[in-house]
Amino acid sequence: MPAKPKVAFFDFAGCEGDQLQVANLEERLLDLVSHIDIVRFREIKTEKRDNYDIAFVEGSITRPEDEPRIREIRENAKILVAIGACATIGGINCLKNFINESEYKATVYGDFSRWYSTYAARPVSAVVKVDMDIHGCPIDKNEFARAVKELLLGKIYSPPKYPVCVECKMAGNICRFEQGRLCLGIVTRAGCGACCVNEGSVCWGCRGIAPDANMDAAGQVMDEHGFTWLEAQDHLRLYFGCNINKL
Amino acid sequence: MIAYTIYLPQTRELLKNWATELNVYVPTMVEDGFYEFRPWNGQVEIAWDYDLCYTTLKRFFLPPREEIISFDMKKYAASPVIEAPKQLLFGVHPYDIKAINQLDQLMEMDNPDVNYQARRDNTLIFGLEPVHVAETAFWSSMGAASVDFGYDLYWTRISPGAFFVQVGSARGEEMLKVGGPVEKSSVAQKEAARRAHLKVLAEAQKHSLKYDWQKTPELVNKFFNNQVFWRERSQTCLSCGSCVLVCPTCYCFDVKEEADDLLQKGSRYRQWDGCMLKGFAEIAGGHNFRETAWERYRHRYMRKGKYIYDKLGELGCIGCGRCVKACTARIANPRAVYNEIWEAIKNEV
Ligand code: SF4
Ligand code: SF4
Ligand code: SF4
Ligand code: SF4
Ligand code: SF4
Repeated sequence: MPAKPKVAFFDFAGCEGDQLQVANLEERLLDLVSHIDIVRFREIKTEKRDNYDIAFVEGSITRPEDEPRIREIRENAKILVAIGACATIGGINCLKNFINESEYKATVYGDFSRWYSTYAARPVSAVVKVDMDIHGCPIDKNEFARAVKELLLGKIYSPPKYPVCVECKMAGNICRFEQGRLCLGIVTRAGCGACCVNEGSVCWGCRGIAPDANMDAAGQVMDEHGFTWLEAQDHLRLYFGCNINKL
Repeated sequence: MIAYTIYLPQTRELLKNWATELNVYVPTMVEDGFYEFRPWNGQVEIAWDYDLCYTTLKRFFLPPREEIISFDMKKYAASPVIEAPKQLLFGVHPYDIKAINQLDQLMEMDNPDVNYQARRDNTLIFGLEPVHVAETAFWSSMGAASVDFGYDLYWTRISPGAFFVQVGSARGEEMLKVGGPVEKSSVAQKEAARRAHLKVLAEAQKHSLKYDWQKTPELVNKFFNNQVFWRERSQTCLSCGSCVLVCPTCYCFDVKEEADDLLQKGSRYRQWDGCMLKGFAEIAGGHNFRETAWERYRHRYMRKGKYIYDKLGELGCIGCGRCVKACTARIANPRAVYNEIWEAIKNEV
């Protein structure tokens, strides 16, 4: 890696919420930028160059024409980082994978649907090799900063493998199950500090299924706590769509 | 035994006094049926009759995340970070005091944990006799219904308006007298405190081990190789770590580092970890000493029921019942598991 690596941001199907989180780093970004050279970043600059060492990719692969584009990015970049749920796990785009093609096309594009090519949404890693994932919907700006720093120090940041419950316990929250609410923290990869639970909500699973999650047990837990299969499915499909075929 | 009688209106004045000197934490209801220790600020209502504080008090000595070293990458220099705010935990139940006493011993063994000890040295503990027992608790059968040490004062409510306050340390006595002289307790008041203890004890004994806790190490050890048992019980284990993270006697942590944004300075910090998490026993090269959930599940019961006993002569579980609530899969209950083992072994002979 050169002393001052060139960094570029790209987006596929997504809302650019992750790049916004990066822009939200504000003054901190200035400190980080003293170590890198941002050559392409729509959120904060218009000028762009196609010479880069690190590519941050946001969004899912949802169309045939996405594939050559992501392959080219992969070829140019020394390190490719997927940022945000759409890129790392397919994200909410995968909701459409549960309905048939003609239906979602008609819903989104109406009469013009035959002009658009679109297929089941997939994470970036379904098409090219990804060197590092920064999970979340949107990503956590502090985790992003941390991952960048580790890259600059020659390391690959790896997010925790344990479930959100760990961080939820550290934060001292009352478990949502004890309040009679459904929470996916029991199977979702941690790293966000359980932020949604801290704010009074539940975990929706945006960081994807934890590598060793016991999904069968989770089903049983939800069942034993009195949730119906439909309620569970509603939660699970939101972000886990691409990981589980049977949901 | 030195003891004083303190009347409810006096407590407010005392708290005001204490709060000028240190951070005072008291139990309060945070949500229907859930209690936590929160900073006393004159407004919080003290839940004198709380049954269990939801989050373990170990966070006051072993915070979930704590900086331990700060370093400078340009100068290659490092210095220890020891933070130890002066604090007072007012209203700690005896089983939780027992857990803290246990941590004190464990943190002193081998390599004394200076960060822990510094925090501990700056903490005063005022115990409180419980009046209610949590549905999931079984402390009376774990030898944790009362403690002989580990508190600076120990409060027992002997009437709606009065407390019998037993002195545990000179510092505690001093704190009690900051506002002026206080009344010495009478024999009758001491008797009232004893009766209050017996009353809650009777309540607590409704949930207990079916045998004498001293037998646990031997029982659980006999079951060590009973794979069928451990595998069956752990089938729904989510490896979420909740049972150990909420436990007042668990003390495991992981050490990590982070650089600042200019990549010049950094800090090494520790953060709660636990043996129920898969990565816990993983070592360089990817080998894992406890690869599967059932091995981790068994390990926790061995720790609580035998390994800690081998070190200290007491069980690693004080029966607070926090893990019982925390486990969404409802499989982390030491009372249930140890009772089951006892039953099985009893029926064998
Ligand atoms: S609220 Fe959710 S994340 Fe937190 S402990 Fe409960 S299940 Fe886990
Ligand atoms: S709590 Fe769950 S939904 Fe919220 S950010 Fe974390 S992983 Fe995502
Ligand atoms: S094992 Fe459970 S009941 Fe025992 S001390 Fe720990 S949290 Fe409390
Ligand atoms: S039971 Fe597990 S987490 Fe708790 S102290 Fe022991 S090894 Fe650590
Ligand atoms: S026993 Fe329960 S609380 Fe403990 S790791 Fe397994 S599922 Fe989580």
